Amino acid sequence: MSNERSRVLHQSLVGVGALVLGGVLAYGALGISSVAGYAGVGPNFLPWLVAVVMLLCGGWLLFEARSGGYRAMEEPSGAQSADWRAFAWVAAGVLANAALLTTIGFILSCTLCFMLAVRGLRLSEGKAGGGLRQTVIDFVTGFLIAGPAFWLFTKLLAINLPGLTGTGWL
Amino acid sequence: MSDIWTQLLGGFVTAGTPINLLWAFVGCALGTAIGVLPGLGPAVTVAMLLPITAQVEPTASMIFFAGIYYGAMYGGSTTSILLNTPGETGTMVTALEGFKMAKNGRAGAALATSAIGSFVAGTIATVLVTLFAPLVATHAVKLGPPEYFMLMLLAFTTVSAVLGKSTLRGMTALFLGLAIGLVGLDQITAQVRYTAGIPEFMDGIEVVLVAVGLFAVGECFYTVLFEGRSEQNLNRLNKVYMTRSEWRRSWPAWLRGTAIGFPFGTIPAGGSEIPTFLSYGVERKLSRHAEEFGTSGAIEGVAGPEAANNAAVTATLVPLLTLGIPTSVTAAILLSALQNYGIQAGPQLFQTSSALVWALIASLYIGNVMLLVLNLPLVGMWVKLLKIPRPPLYAGILIFATVGVYGMRQSAFDLFLMFGVGLLGVLMRRFDFPTAPVIVGMILGPLAEAQMRNALSIGEGRWSVFIERPMSAALFVAVVAVLVLPRLLKRLRA
Repeated sequence: MSNERSRVLHQSLVGVGALVLGGVLAYGALGISSVAGYAGVGPNFLPWLVAVVMLLCGGWLLFEARSGGYRAMEEPSGAQSADWRAFAWVAAGVLANAALLTTIGFILSCTLCFMLAVRGLRLSEGKAGGGLRQTVIDFVTGFLIAGPAFWLFTKLLAINLPGLTGTGWL
Repeated sequence: MSDIWTQLLGGFVTAGTPINLLWAFVGCALGTAIGVLPGLGPAVTVAMLLPITAQVEPTASMIFFAGIYYGAMYGGSTTSILLNTPGETGTMVTALEGFKMAKNGRAGAALATSAIGSFVAGTIATVLVTLFAPLVATHAVKLGPPEYFMLMLLAFTTVSAVLGKSTLRGMTALFLGLAIGLVGLDQITAQVRYTAGIPEFMDGIEVVLVAVGLFAVGECFYTVLFEGRSEQNLNRLNKVYMTRSEWRRSWPAWLRGTAIGFPFGTIPAGGSEIPTFLSYGVERKLSRHAEEFGTSGAIEGVAGPEAANNAAVTATLVPLLTLGIPTSVTAAILLSALQNYGIQAGPQLFQTSSALVWALIASLYIGNVMLLVLNLPLVGMWVKLLKIPRPPLYAGILIFATVGVYGMRQSAFDLFLMFGVGLLGVLMRRFDFPTAPVIVGMILGPLAEAQMRNALSIGEGRWSVFIERPMSAALFVAVVAVLVLPRLLKRLRA
């Protein structure tokens, strides 16, 4: 696929996304009561307004995409194509963290997130992901950020973060 | 006048307690650090720290947050000058001339003029806030719901239509923010909206989540996806020092920058982007060294915009504190910090929370002095932060993102949602959608809706209520002008 055609496709998809969002908002607005009281407009007024404007924006984006591309567009910085392999590591880190945080505690979960993410970020720079030695270094680095962060926020600022044990230290 | 003086003194007494001085210092230092570090801005840092509002008392945390906001402006210019990757929109112009100066071995002078200029502008602007904010507050008490709604409409319009390159993409971002703000309970009738049966949505979507998702997680995702191979060149730092002639060229630019920046900060014109560019244009026109602009780097081109930036940032406190209307993303997040305490920002604030307001203003004077010390003699220390390699930096940011998002509501669901918002952030950056309207829309949206419905109640359901009252009508004209004038000018010029 040529550059030009993929750009039209991608921009159109963003427009379609906005249209879908507008549709979802409109569908949701159907179920909101319109009891207006003195104001003349009820709790469903803004939802309808947002839904309609979102549909208009989506349609207009689609039109711009198909008639020469978005207007006054600044070229995005960085590479032309995305590095999905590196991204997968970072995404895995964030999602694993979300899934495990309450089970294995903040420190270990964030350390794991750090290890996965740092590996992905290194790969994106074209460097090796690293062997066992590097993995150990990553673990220690992650632990040295997550640990003090946990202690600082829970002990000093009394923010609730989950621990693995009830000791308050891990 | 003497009244202001006593209250300010009272503010200094509160802000001067050791614990509050410590908060101010930690805020300034942290702000400088995150300003220097690429990838984090003041808005997202304050957002990540919003959970502390559950424990820390309001005065201390506002002093802390203001220190971060301020410090990030100082730190941001260091990065712009040495690395040419501005973190905040306001320091974009600094990068234009400052980076060129640094390339030609004048990094020290550029850093000096930006730090001292920030100090001068910040201090003058704080004096102006001290004098004007109470005055605005006394008049603002007379504003009713129709006027407030129009003011908010003006803020929406400027932040979405004027700032970005494309009105369409700005509007899309704004309405996305409004849509996010709709989730949860309607403020007036407690009607449930857009929760899709998910209990987590009942309380709405947290600002922390969206700000951290869009700015921190989104930035991290974008970096790993697209920026892996981008090279970064760090300019060499030399002695932070200005010659006599550089002083002579700097100070008028500082004053002009302040004069341009302050008024722009006070009106809902969307932060510091316009005044910094305006100041840059003025300096370029007035300078006797026009040949240095864009070539070897002109010191006026750093001094003016830096001053304009700091003056505008300080001035955003006027609409924030007196009207409850944020004109920048960070101000919007400060507003939501106040909301967490149940404090209603608005003209009554000067009566109901006068101790807080004056301590905050006093802390700005103190913070400016702290920042001058932190940034002039100690600049070498901050520059070391720029040597941290990207992978551990961005991976570490994810840990702090978790603290902020999870710490706010103790909900793992929010962490999954944060991932989704991060992806949205990548999309918006890739397709050049502005992100500021999303945050302003989601925070200001519910407030604007309430004001609009209250206004219509006053008008017994008639929309004409918005144009029957003179002040409201004038604001309506301003909204229309903001929408129409730029287009008209463009057409006339073409």
